[in-house]
Amino acid sequence: MSSPGLSLREAVVEALDNLRAHRQRSLLALLGILIGTASIVAMLTIGHMAQLETLRMYRHLGVDIVQVHAAQTGLAPATIDRGLAEALPGRDPRIRAVASMGLGRFPVAFGDQISDLSVAPTTQDLARMTGMRLAQGRFLAPIDDGGLSAVVGSEVARKLSAPGRPLRVGEQIRVGGYVYRVIGVLAPMPFTSFDPVNFNETVQVPIVGGQRLIGVDQPSTVLVRMAPDADIKAAAQRLTALLARPGASLQVLSAREMIDGMNAQKAIHSRLLTAIGAISLLVGGIGVMNVMLMGVMERRREIGLRSAIGATPRDLQLMFLIEAATLASVGGVAGLLAGLAAAGGAAVFSGWAFAAPLYVLVLGPAMAALVGVAFGFYPARKASRLDPIEALRAE
Amino acid sequence: MKGRHDVGQIDLGGYSKSKIPVHILLSSLRLATDRARGDRCGGAWRLMLKLLNVDKHYGPPERPVPVLRNVSFTVQAGDFCAILGPSGSGKSTLMNIIGLLDRPTTGEVVVDGETVDFSTPEITAGLRNRLIGFVFQAFHLLPRLTAWENVALPLLYRRVARPRRREMALAMLDQVGLADRADHRPSELSGGQKQRVALARALVGGPKVVLADEPTGSLDSVTAGEVMALLRDLNRRLGVTIVMVTHDRDLAGLCDRRIEVLDGRILRDTAAA
Ligand SMILES: Nc1ncnc2c1ncn2[C@@H]1O[C@H](COP(=O)(O)OP(=O)(O)OP(=O)(O)O)[C@@H](O)[C@H]1O
Ligand SMILES: [Mg+2]
Repeated sequence: MSSPGLSLREAVVEALDNLRAHRQRSLLALLGILIGTASIVAMLTIGHMAQLETLRMYRHLGVDIVQVHAAQTGLAPATIDRGLAEALPGRDPRIRAVASMGLGRFPVAFGDQISDLSVAPTTQDLARMTGMRLAQGRFLAPIDDGGLSAVVGSEVARKLSAPGRPLRVGEQIRVGGYVYRVIGVLAPMPFTSFDPVNFNETVQVPIVGGQRLIGVDQPSTVLVRMAPDADIKAAAQRLTALLARPGASLQVLSAREMIDGMNAQKAIHSRLLTAIGAISLLVGGIGVMNVMLMGVMERRREIGLRSAIGATPRDLQLMFLIEAATLASVGGVAGLLAGLAAAGGAAVFSGWAFAAPLYVLVLGPAMAALVGVAFGFYPARKASRLDPIEALRAE
Repeated sequence: MKGRHDVGQIDLGGYSKSKIPVHILLSSLRLATDRARGDRCGGAWRLMLKLLNVDKHYGPPERPVPVLRNVSFTVQAGDFCAILGPSGSGKSTLMNIIGLLDRPTTGEVVVDGETVDFSTPEITAGLRNRLIGFVFQAFHLLPRLTAWENVALPLLYRRVARPRRREMALAMLDQVGLADRADHRPSELSGGQKQRVALARALVGGPKVVLADEPTGSLDSVTAGEVMALLRDLNRRLGVTIVMVTHDRDLAGLCDRRIEVLDGRILRDTAAA
């Protein structure tokens, strides 16, 4: 029966014309939409980047790693039975690999340079499990057991190097009174909150013979790689049971739980930003409604004329809805750009790689347009219900 | 049909300076003329408009204020009627009812044999678009649109595509002698030119009746005379039925027929000499 009349393209052009004609008033309404869209876009983009970053950071470890710590309860240093731990993969198919390490802190000297550093008695398994890479030399091997070989982290090498005398493979360093020979220097690696220690700043020595430094040749920490589909909670309980020893209480940490914890933290932030975005969009929507209502009042004669020459109430309503949606979409696109810019700023500030999820490019303006339609509904309805005779007489 | 042959005789006068292809001009004119003029041929005048016992009251039903009282009259296709009467006599009210902008309290309106259904605004809007062309005292051109876009406006609500709308609007602008002002905005036109654009807009959809409520009311007497001459000319050339309200007895004298209204009633209905 009745036809929509205006083509969408024409309606949008018309709407943009109106926008230009009432620039200041429109800008005010757009500001709310812009801030709302921008904060939501920024939040989603920053969240996306943070997630990528987390994944990137944990990639060298993998999220299926569980750490078992022996917490000291008495005077004796708390330890885990290394034999028991390293036999785990054979006892439980869901346990893929195990690496043992102890930890102490000693002055480490090379020539005149001296620095207080972490020293970790460990085995070749640690390098494999944590994805360490070498800058020079080799990792620890069974032949080093009981000997005085050391693998140093990239920061250790940097701190102990003097001008003209870099710390290299083959050099000798003094660790707590013993002279170790450097057999490998690590390439720099990311340090995450899940790592038991910052390996860049750690000297690794063979765990067999480690008692000369830390008093025991047993690990205080065991890293366990689980099968990817293993239930981490159940695994943690099993590990505690399997490794339990009198005199030490065991503490189990999983990367997945830590990531979940971080995500929960982030969820609070993103909820806050969402709330800000929603409130801004609401304010912007009310602004759009205001602009549209003023437009309807000012253009009563036009509405009357259009009605006289055959625009149906539906035609008029559609015209004003498209106008409101266009108005809001302009704010939405501006908000998208502002949001991406803000996220870009955050990326530069945190040293992350900038990456926007594709869907926000659509979601931002679409949400704004939706707000426009929702808040344009009342003015559009008002326009469509004007009496043409009175409307033509307006002013 | 004999009406078709008439198209060939249309005097394009001095107005066809533009480069509009003749076939477009003619096809658009046919819209305006076929139904109106074609039906007039064969000697018999055809009924275009009929009001039957129309009453219009304003105010609450318990205390009605009568504005039109039992108005009945008919207009033939191709008629050029003037409605005269003192201020407040109900002329505009009558025009609004003929123009399907307002519904009569009682009585019926028949346009081109079709009894108007006033039940919903959707229906009357569609009927207005198809049957009626409006010319207003205040022109009511949209300031942001060019002359041709203003003229093409009624076609917008018929889903006519833009290129075709432009063709038809240009042809109509040519008819009112403004082909060279097609891309001007209303603010760049004189009062007389604005009213001619409005006239082209009223005609572009090929309406059954053109309604003009004091079309010269905003114009000086010279321009008013020009617009009146154009109306007269379009009525003769295109055979459009025109009903016009005016206060000017001289202008009314140029019409075929004068309907005088007083206090909501038709006082006199006379054919011009
Ligand atoms: N919406 C309305 N509500 C109440 N009364 C109305 C309304 N519209 C018109 N009237 C009254 O109806 C009467 C006729 O008005 P109308 O506008 O038809 O007169 P008119 O003949 O066109 O006058 P003019 O020559 O001044 O234009 C007037 O008394 C007017 O006050
Ligand atoms: Mg009047």
